[in-house]
Amino acid sequence: MKRWKTILGRGGTTLIVISLALLLVSIIPQLQISGVEGYVPLLPEQVQIAFDSQNLNPQQEVELAVTVEGTLKVYLLEISVEFQFVNGTFDYGFNLTDLQELLEEHPDQIIWKDQVENGNYERSYTPTRIMNATVVFYNPSSEIAYVEYDVTLKSGLAPGDKVRTIAYCAAPIGIILAIPWLLNSWKQRKHK
Amino acid sequence: MKDMGKGKPFLEVLASAIHEDYRFPFLELFAFLYALGTFVLANFTVSVYSQATTNEAIAYTVTTSLISGSLIVFILLILKNVAYGLGSDLEKGIIQSYFSYPLRRRGILTAKLLSALGVSLLLFLGIQISALYILAPDIVLPQFGTVLLTYAANLSYPLLISAIMLLMTLILRRGGIALVVGIILYFAMSIISGIAFVVALATGSPLALQIVSVIAPSYALQYHYGGLSGVSEVFSVTWAPTLTETLLYTGASYVIVASLFVLGYIYFSRRLNL
Repeated sequence: MKRWKTILGRGGTTLIVISLALLLVSIIPQLQISGVEGYVPLLPEQVQIAFDSQNLNPQQEVELAVTVEGTLKVYLLEISVEFQFVNGTFDYGFNLTDLQELLEEHPDQIIWKDQVENGNYERSYTPTRIMNATVVFYNPSSEIAYVEYDVTLKSGLAPGDKVRTIAYCAAPIGIILAIPWLLNSWKQRKHK
Repeated sequence: MKDMGKGKPFLEVLASAIHEDYRFPFLELFAFLYALGTFVLANFTVSVYSQATTNEAIAYTVTTSLISGSLIVFILLILKNVAYGLGSDLEKGIIQSYFSYPLRRRGILTAKLLSALGVSLLLFLGIQISALYILAPDIVLPQFGTVLLTYAANLSYPLLISAIMLLMTLILRRGGIALVVGIILYFAMSIISGIAFVVALATGSPLALQIVSVIAPSYALQYHYGGLSGVSEVFSVTWAPTLTETLLYTGASYVIVASLFVLGYIYFSRRLNL
């Protein structure tokens, strides 16, 4: 019985320190690698690429904040779009036809899609593998939508929320396991 | 009934060894360092841009990125347990007291090694694989074989060091010199591999790298996933071992490690006069 108490107690203290390490990891701030911000009027049925990143990895996070006057559809797609010279100007080689084709034929490449109407919108995404990511705006209405956006790419040690959740779950279990052993050790020391 | 009779003394010795090796708060301290080192020293950005082209290569580079930081903590723990722990047990007469148990000598050594290496390995792999799963589940799960091979290849050399330290500690009956030799061997490998790389470039033959890979198969795995790409064309060295060859190098290294541990067992069972 005493041995089991020791084994569980030491397992508990180990869980506590692992939780502490994870909490420490989660509070280390992320570093902003790059960012794009702008204010654009989107014509009806117009598509705009707001952000494009290749080789996004699990230590990185894409954060998006948008303020819209009008109606806007926001997509995060698992694609890489090429920046090319078209009609005398540099632009992404991605238009409404490409978007519609992708939405119909490759729905697996849609990480998220949301509609925003006259308001603010914020969302972030951390991948679980190495992937491409592109933020696309689309105005589905018949009126001009005015979009103010801020997309940032951040790099950290680990996804903070995930790590913090694990730490919050593991620490109480560790404490419950460790208390009997710690009390026993304290009593023995006091007895000596 | 006979097995149960032998099992209980074994568990007694194992419990005693674990108690000695992981006195409070050593286990907790190393668990903290493992967890912190795994996340703080991992850098997916560099590894992903450097060489990864296939899913296997991505899984390999991500796993290697995670291992590199914690491996030094693992080495420290086995240096402490095998050289210092076993050495002081021999000096203090704790091992001699185990001989009074109704247990064969090899059982006593197995219990000591399970405590010194088994628990350390369990802690290391448990934290590492959990961290990989937290960070990149979609890389780890589909390529779990590559992840395991990467761990096997990277752990072979530390286990070789521990086998050498075990032999030295048993022969010298103290751990001080074995501890120093262990530290030297750990750092010597990076120097030896550097020399082997230069020799390979100078001679245009990968023989030196192949010899190093027999004791440290992580190098064969590195070259399998394109470690020499770019340099090979300039210096006309081409060594890209196939997966089968890499598995052979890993297998050969573990045969060497196992042979040294068997030598340790033979010495402990038959030659060690205490």
